[in-house]
Amino acid sequence: MKNKIKVYRAMHDLSQEALAREVGVTRQTILAIENGKYEPSLILAAKIARLFKARIDDIFLLDSLDE
Amino acid sequence: MKRNIFFLGIALGAFTEVAIFWLSVEIADPLPSIIAIIVGIILAYIAKGQIEEVTEDERTQKITEITALRTLQIAWVGLFLYAMWIIIEALGEGFRHYNRQAGLVGFRLLTVLCGVILLYVLLSLYYNRKFGA
Repeated sequence: MKNKIKVYRAMHDLSQEALAREVGVTRQTILAIENGKYEPSLILAAKIARLFKARIDDIFLLDSLDE
Repeated sequence: MKRNIFFLGIALGAFTEVAIFWLSVEIADPLPSIIAIIVGIILAYIAKGQIEEVTEDERTQKITEITALRTLQIAWVGLFLYAMWIIIEALGEGFRHYNRQAGLVGFRLLTVLCGVILLYVLLSLYYNRKFGA
């Protein structure tokens, strides 16, 4: 799964630390998601999407390997 | 305090507890062990409260799950091989000089390992039901 968290963070001028604090996870978790090493739960994805006022599938995209 | 510093402290504390327990056995006095365990629990509790960052989230829980499972698997295989080695040693050359006392240790260990499998199956059934199966 690909994601645009880095882009949305830049748009909202949020650091990884700040985003992590807002959604209640560690900074390492945000880093792992951005690097594609960890796929977040639906709840965490929804929290991130709500924070950025976007839809989940605007931020998280299925790639060919997931299908 | 950083999370990793806390876990490092816990590991060092555990080694210290083992050393004190050993000392207790050597001097045949249980008091140092009892004091060390109580002090250890209190210190761990206080240290946990000093961690500033978020310590647990879904990723760390997943890591804990996988780590626990791998630890169980490796420990089980390691202890099984150790138990077999004890029993083979106890059997002696040509299986003719069986050391019953030593063999018993191996068989007890094997029994505990069978208990671990049983516990795993029971917990697996319980969580399967809990999560909707």
